[in-house]
Amino acid sequence: MNKAISRIFIVGVVLFVALVVNLTWIMVVRAGWFEDRPENKRSIAKELKIKRGELLGFDGSVIAGSSRRSGYYFRDYPQGTFAPQLLGYDSVRYGRSGIEQQLNDVLTGKATDLGVQSWIDRLLGRKPKGADVKLTLVPAVQKTAQQQLAGLKGAIVVLAPKTGALIASASAPTYEPTTLEDHWARLSADPAAPLLDRSVQGLYAPGSAFKVVTAAGGLDYGKVTPTTEFIDTGTYVVFGGTVTNYGGAVFGANDFTTALTYSINTTFGKLGNLLGRKRLVAAMQRFGFYQTPPLPLPRGEIVPSGRYGKKGLLSPDAFMDPLAVAWAACGQEKVLATPLQMALVAAGVANGGRVMKPYYLQEVTSAAGDVVQKATPEQWLVAMKPATAAALNLMMQRVVNSGTGTAAALEGIQVAGKSGTAERGDGTNLAWFIAFAPADDPTVAVAVVIEDTQSTGGEAAAPIAAEVLKSALAQPALP
Amino acid sequence: MSRRNVELLFLVIAGAVSTMAYVSVYAGRFREINRLSIVYGLAFVAIFFVLHLLVRFMLPQADPFLLPITALLAAVGLTEIFRIKPSLALVQGQWLLVGAGLFVITVVLVRDHMRLDRYRYIMGAIGLALLIATIVVGTTVNGSKLWIHAFGFSIQPSEFAKLAIVIFLAGYLNDKKALLSVPTHHVLGVPLPATKYFGPLIVMWFLSLAMLVFMKDFGMALLFMSIFVALMYMATARIIYVVIGGGLFAAAAAIAVAIVPHVQDRFNVWLDPWPHAATTGYQLLQSLFTIADGGVLGAGFGRGFLLYADRTPVVPDLQTDFIFAAIANEMGLLGAAGVILVYLLFMWRGFRIAVFAPDGFSKLLAAGLAFAFGLQTFIILGGVTRLIPLTGITLPFVSYGGSSITANLMLVALLLMVSNRTNVVRGGSDLERRRLAERG
Repeated sequence: MNKAISRIFIVGVVLFVALVVNLTWIMVVRAGWFEDRPENKRSIAKELKIKRGELLGFDGSVIAGSSRRSGYYFRDYPQGTFAPQLLGYDSVRYGRSGIEQQLNDVLTGKATDLGVQSWIDRLLGRKPKGADVKLTLVPAVQKTAQQQLAGLKGAIVVLAPKTGALIASASAPTYEPTTLEDHWARLSADPAAPLLDRSVQGLYAPGSAFKVVTAAGGLDYGKVTPTTEFIDTGTYVVFGGTVTNYGGAVFGANDFTTALTYSINTTFGKLGNLLGRKRLVAAMQRFGFYQTPPLPLPRGEIVPSGRYGKKGLLSPDAFMDPLAVAWAACGQEKVLATPLQMALVAAGVANGGRVMKPYYLQEVTSAAGDVVQKATPEQWLVAMKPATAAALNLMMQRVVNSGTGTAAALEGIQVAGKSGTAERGDGTNLAWFIAFAPADDPTVAVAVVIEDTQSTGGEAAAPIAAEVLKSALAQPALP
Repeated sequence: MSRRNVELLFLVIAGAVSTMAYVSVYAGRFREINRLSIVYGLAFVAIFFVLHLLVRFMLPQADPFLLPITALLAAVGLTEIFRIKPSLALVQGQWLLVGAGLFVITVVLVRDHMRLDRYRYIMGAIGLALLIATIVVGTTVNGSKLWIHAFGFSIQPSEFAKLAIVIFLAGYLNDKKALLSVPTHHVLGVPLPATKYFGPLIVMWFLSLAMLVFMKDFGMALLFMSIFVALMYMATARIIYVVIGGGLFAAAAAIAVAIVPHVQDRFNVWLDPWPHAATTGYQLLQSLFTIADGGVLGAGFGRGFLLYADRTPVVPDLQTDFIFAAIANEMGLLGAAGVILVYLLFMWRGFRIAVFAPDGFSKLLAAGLAFAFGLQTFIILGGVTRLIPLTGITLPFVSYGGSSITANLMLVALLLMVSNRTNVVRGGSDLERRRLAERG
């Protein structure tokens, strides 16, 4: 009997050894792997004990503060709802998103470049202190943008064309960040998608606003000049199909400037085929289409613009027949763009053809009070020659002065812009307006898109663009 | 040094270790601790000192390590429960007192475990009745029907049924082992004993199946079936019982996975918890995250991240089934492996008592109890670390819960009795032998 008893004991020992081996596997070998799983919210919860750095506006006012309740820190929002989709959330239950996730190491004092004091704290094993981040967002402009979108669906992106700084980014419908966790179920199920940052993730047919890209390509490749003559008969028949104008309008003889001013589809369709598929796509790529804009955001929270098929972004080399090229040149067909990308288009023209790298981080101040990081504007792409940009700038001024964008005009300040109206087939339109001002020395560029409207871009989006430009140009300082 | 003085020495060591753990928690959360909890700490020391005196007087030659091990595990459990939810630790302390009371009653009333052999069928009936009662009037908690609510208390009868069934099987199998060992015919070339002796095996199989289907609890079914198979093997030394028993249980488990949704969920989560991260797999994954976070040395008692800002535990049921996750988090791999080692020590002492015991009933009783204790520990530790499917079973002496600590203290009392008898028979004083003879 003793032999059998011993054997059973050995079985027990083997089982216990298996426990210890498995435990070693979990606690040592795979510990880091477990920690990095997105389902693991422990690190977020633990970081609630660290005073999270504040997010400040460009004017130094607090956008997202950090207040202590019974040993834990929680976000408070002194300015209420303020670009919540871009700022993102920091929730034990739902994880992190947006800037809160992107800059988490900085905000929790874990980043390695936060100055000498942070190193000393680290060596002494002290709890890190979060660094404050000043953003390029200008609170007054952001609030104007949000007010303009109240009750609507859409997005507004405001950029500083000379630096690439993000002045404002609004996405509607929106939500109140303080009660996000309480309303999560409703917000995440809402078909209007209030949690989605339409500014950088919303893919819309850009419509005629895209003609600025086509025009830049046509001018830069020497296919047209502002005075090149075209004849419009109301239709452009190509490759077994026709390109028609918005509302069935017929314009007769027109030069290229007039074609942009009144957004003549047939002329731009013809220009598309003058350029050809490859050069049209190249013109897009030179504005940043087909790549994710380098605005630092978490993976998947910012998307590239370009031609989209059923399985997502198509290759720049994907085939297009001449009819497709003609419609794509008018911003239809399979072309989709984010409001950020369209703001970059406006900013590129405004900045003499040079597209600056978009950014939102103005400076980082360590817990010790030292400025440890400062924004340095960088050039991202060259969209066209300076002369082309100057010509296109003048053409876009005509749009605002006498064309489809007169509602964007401001008193005493010359605005340049381009409207866009994409019909959705369900009776509603997407209304676009992209603009910059002052036209002779632009400091603000904007893109506005409004969903589910009956109006055109010139009617629905242009007045909003004007209000936002006015607000931005009234600021004492812009990034 | 006499066995009792060794026991006292190790109790003092266990006490010292417990005090350090307690002080660590105290330092981490001093705001919530008042003088009353120190009184409870002293009460804990007093309880084990009284048990020590009882053993010194009644079971002088009993194994000196079991009581200190019990004290150490109970202290670790109480400290961790205290750290998770102070109010529960006070309740658990009261349960410890009840358990100590039952320990005393068991030792005083039973006096010598050999007397239990006479009541083996009554024991078997009690065990069966407890399990059937659970199935009939039990309440479902977390998907498993393991509880009976009565008189304002929640009792987990399976913890007590475990003891009764081991006593019954030890007596029954010791009696029938010769018959069960002799093959009378062959089936498919396998030598088998007379069919009628398979009766108990079939009964146990149905019992396990019933537990799987009606209690919806894989762990308890596995525990009872394994106890039975292990005891059959130890009684007869015939591997065929293990093979048949294992096969029958595997078949029962497969049936349960197919038809009982709760068991099915647990099984699927065990295979791959990630797709169920927000639902059925949440608890297990949080357990794994909490354990993984412990690292080699752990955060330290009272310093781990175990509670959210609103004081809810990071793993649901942290103080009961998942208490090991809390221990691993705060004590690290070294501490957690140390706790496992302590359980292994307990099991080793139990099997050692069995090996040295002078008669078959004592051997099977001690080995059965030690095996039940060790396997229960393995089932819950394996469950929370995803080595085997998770099942709601307590970690002996450590988990919060009155039934568990009470039943396991009775288990210790039984092992000490077997051990005392063994040592007296094999070399005690004349006085001790005489007193033992008087008891029988």
